[in-house]
Amino acid sequence: MTEWQRKTPLEWQKYVTKEVNVTAAEKHDYKGWVLTVDPVSANIVLVTFLEDGKVSVLVVLGHAVQEVGIVKEADDEMREKLALLFMPGES
Amino acid sequence: AVQLEQEQQGRVVMRERYLRSLSAMAGHPVRFTMYEKVNVTALFEASDIDILNFHVSELQTPLGVQRDALLRCSDIISYTFEL
Repeated sequence: MTEWQRKTPLEWQKYVTKEVNVTAAEKHDYKGWVLTVDPVSANIVLVTFLEDGKVSVLVVLGHAVQEVGIVKEADDEMREKLALLFMPGES
Repeated sequence: AVQLEQEQQGRVVMRERYLRSLSAMAGHPVRFTMYEKVNVTALFEASDIDILNFHVSELQTPLGVQRDALLRCSDIISYTFEL
């Protein structure tokens, strides 16, 4: 088990709605807003809002996560966009 | 006990969001980055509850298109899709 997988749900929660940099296995680097961390697999869901209105979702598997660094906090608008994503009644 | 309850509540919220992200992905083309520099694209169908395997269809491989396949999550580094 990696350090990331051993974290508690309260520790994972600190990353939710933050913009982060994730370093993963085989030198992969990802950046995005943390929508959630699956407490079962430790998979981390990163969201990027694209200019054409589309949403890009990238998930790094928990076992492949090496380091997660917080870049910045969400403002109210970003918090709301993240909260509404994938919720029933939204597309 | 308060700490445990908070922790459980946090787990529930984070798990529900994750499951919703999986439902949103169903039927969409997903690009998988696997170990050893392997990249494949397929339509996502379903996952088991432990997130150990992904059932995909129309898997694009150098040998052609596999109509159905099971990807082991332990072989995957990341996956991405657009909505």
